[in-house]
Order: sequence, then C-alpha cells, then structure tokens
Amino acid sequence: MVPQWWSTTGERITKQFNVIVLTNSFKKLCHIDDLKDGTALGFDPLAKGQDTLFVVRQGPVLRSYKNDCPHWPGSPMAWRKNAYLTSDGAHIACHGHGARFDIESGLCISGPCDGQSLQSLELKVDESGYLYVRLEHLSGKTDI
Amino acid sequence: MNIIGPDALVFGVENVKDCEQYLIDYGLDSVGDGRFEALDGTSIVVLPKDDASLPPALPTGNMLRKTIYGVADQNTLDAIAGELGTDREVKVLDDGSLVANDDLGFTLGFQITVRKAIDLPAETVNAPGAAPQRPVNVAAADPDAAPKPRSLSHVVYFVPDVAKGEAFYTQRLGFRCTDRFTNAGPFLRPAGTQDHHTLFMIQTPPFLQGCEHFTFHMGGPSEVMQAGTRFVEKGYESFWGPGRHIFGSNWFWYFNSPFGCHVEYDADMDIHDDEWTAREALSSEDTSQIFLFQHRDKWFPSGGPPPAKE
Ligand code: FES
Ligand SMILES: [Fe+2]
Repeated sequence: MVPQWWSTTGERITKQFNVIVLTNSFKKLCHIDDLKDGTALGFDPLAKGQDTLFVVRQGPVLRSYKNDCPHWPGSPMAWRKNAYLTSDGAHIACHGHGARFDIESGLCISGPCDGQSLQSLELKVDESGYLYVRLEHLSGKTDI
Repeated sequence: MNIIGPDALVFGVENVKDCEQYLIDYGLDSVGDGRFEALDGTSIVVLPKDDASLPPALPTGNMLRKTIYGVADQNTLDAIAGELGTDREVKVLDDGSLVANDDLGFTLGFQITVRKAIDLPAETVNAPGAAPQRPVNVAAADPDAAPKPRSLSHVVYFVPDVAKGEAFYTQRLGFRCTDRFTNAGPFLRPAGTQDHHTLFMIQTPPFLQGCEHFTFHMGGPSEVMQAGTRFVEKGYESFWGPGRHIFGSNWFWYFNSPFGCHVEYDADMDIHDDEWTAREALSSEDTSQIFLFQHRDKWFPSGGPPPAKE
C-alpha cells in the first residue's frame, strides 16, 4: 500500500517509501570457530546490559534461544556468563530452579516448565563462517 | 524459644569448585572444610553431594541439605530437644548440636549460635532536615570499596504445604508471622531476632521443594548495589533487582547460582516485636517491590561534540 500524508502547506502527498525494517535484520554474533562443540555462548546484541540470547553447539547442531526461561518468563537462565548447559553438556539448564531442556528442540524435559519450550531464534552462517541471529523476535515483550 | 536465626546452610553440590568460587566472588571468606563465612561467622557450607557427613537429600534432589539455626544458649537447645523429641527423632551430635527434621522433610540443625558481635557502622545518609549522619569532610562514595556480607539473613523454601510448614515453625519453634502473601506463604521471625524474616515459605508443587534463595545482610543499599555490580562484572547472572521489597523493606538483588537456587544481597530490613500486626497481600509485581531497577553497562553522558566513532 502506498502511504499518504499531508504536507505542512496542507497539500496531500503520496510517496513511495523505501522502508528498511531494522528489527527484521540479522546481527552478527561471532565466528563459528568461537563456538566450541558442546558449549554455549551468550550474547547481548541489543546492548541491554545482560545477555538476551545464547547459541549452543552440539556436534552438527547449532541452536539459538532467548535467555528467558518459560517457567517464569523474564528469568535469565545461566548462572554465570555462558553457563547455560548441564555439567555433562547434555542439556540446556535453567539455573533458576533446575529446568532441563533438549538442546536440539528447546523442549523442557524436566522441571517446573515440563513440556514447554524455549523460544528459538533464527540463525544464519555466511560464507566466511560468521554467525548471525535474526533480531526480530528478540525485542518482544519479555524485555530482559 | 530463643532461636536467633540461621547460622549456616549446608549444601551438597555437583560442582564443588564452581560453588566455592561463586561464594568467594560473592564476598564470603573461605575458612576451610568447605565453610564460607560472613563477617559475623554465619556461613554457607559446600560439600560434594555424596559426602558421607551430609544428611540425605530431599526427594526432589534440591542441593540444600541442612539449615542450621543458632540459638541463644544451652537452655534453648534443651527446650528444642524436649519439644521436638515428643514426636520425632532428635539426634545430638558430638559438638552438642541437635539434628531433627521439620514437618516438611527439611533437615534442621540447632546449635549455640556462632554469631560474633560485629561493630561496624551502617551506611550513612545526609539529608536536609536531619542531622548529618556523616561527619564533615567524609566522602561516602568509594569506587574501591569491597563490601562484605555481614550476616546470614534469611532462607526461602519452596514447600508443598505452606500451612503445615507454618504450623511447625510457629507452634513448635516459636516463630511469628510478620507478614503474609496470601497466595505464596508467610514471612517468619524467630523469637531471638527482630529481623522481619529469617524464613519465608512459598507454596509450590511437591517436585520443587527445596531452597529458593538465601541471602546475607549488607551494610546498606549502596553496598547491595556496589557488591551486585561487582558480581555482574565478574560474569554472574542477575536474576531480579536491584530493588526494594515492601514487606520487610529490604533492598534486594538476586542472582542465579550453581546451587540450584538464587542467591541474594539484602540490606536495611525492618525490625519488629510482638506488638506488630501481620499484613497480608496477594503477591504481585506491585506488592513485592516499591521499585525495580535493572543493571546496565556503565555509561555516561557528557557535553561537547559527539564522541568519536570507534
Ligand atoms: S526460572 Fe527457570 S526453572 Fe525456574
Ligand atoms: Fe530474600
């Protein structure tokens, strides 16, 4: 649809906009080599002062989720920078009250939010191996 | 019964090293045998979860294994042993302390308190209309200050039956309810302290039973902020705060931890005596805090031209 508005002189103006939807863009996080197998890294791409998402790598599986536990939305999950996994590296853990999540699906498999899922974020890797996340879903209502 | 408050919390953990480092970074002093002390000698004890000296874990696997209360004297210990001995086993350990379970399955210890008298000034404030609290020429803000936790303040339990828990602590051990969240549980104060609460219970499904958080008193709100900022800068994950509660008026800042519970810094809690009438409210964003802030990275605005781009 072509937007219309009134100019300061009262004349009606019709103009074609070239809209850049910034929130729809991808943001560079790190290089794929920064992410060792069996580990997770937290990121704060919106400069909130606290990591709002994390990326986890398990073999060929690469996933990104919001740092936001479904048990109590708004709750960050790590206990220390990048400490998102159980000590054996087999699951994602929320260190609030011990919920465990499947790394590949984000599904909670034990704990107070059993059956609920982490909010996954879309990742992209470019030709040089840089990892990007889609920001669109990051600035939702759970503003941590 | 002259129970003063928690002297120590004993945890059985998976990653001893992580937990130890966490408590040191939090500001407690390692004094050996897994004990990490605040300035008044109250402590957190960290042991490997299969350590033979630990009481059994709750069926939920929560890492809190024992809550040890400090009491005034041997008479109080005898009174507790007499009271609890009527319907449960009360063990006397070699050090003279008692061990018994509460009605919810938490293992409790009772000992003549290890709390040392500490003589430290509270945070001071200068305000128009009041006499200055800080002498002239004394600066309050010290970027190099390293505030230390002073005293183990309170522990919060997730419990499957709040009414049963409250009945045990009030009827058997002489705690009083100072305030209550209708849909969560009571804030409880034992007879030997005026602190608003040393125990708070929250009703949850049984599989969550355990410690929800513990906290140490700091010297004032600035110390909560400064210690919390230091903790964030060390890479620890802020959970809730800084802010100020309404019931108890305590300033708070909660963090995630490797103990399977939250760990808090608190300061400036209300004190009460038996004349106080408990208030009651539904717990919510509005009733649990008068304000809530969120940490952000340090930043400052200045005059002049915009800063050069990196
Ligand atoms: S906030 Fe994650 S398990 Fe409770
Ligand atoms: Fe608290």
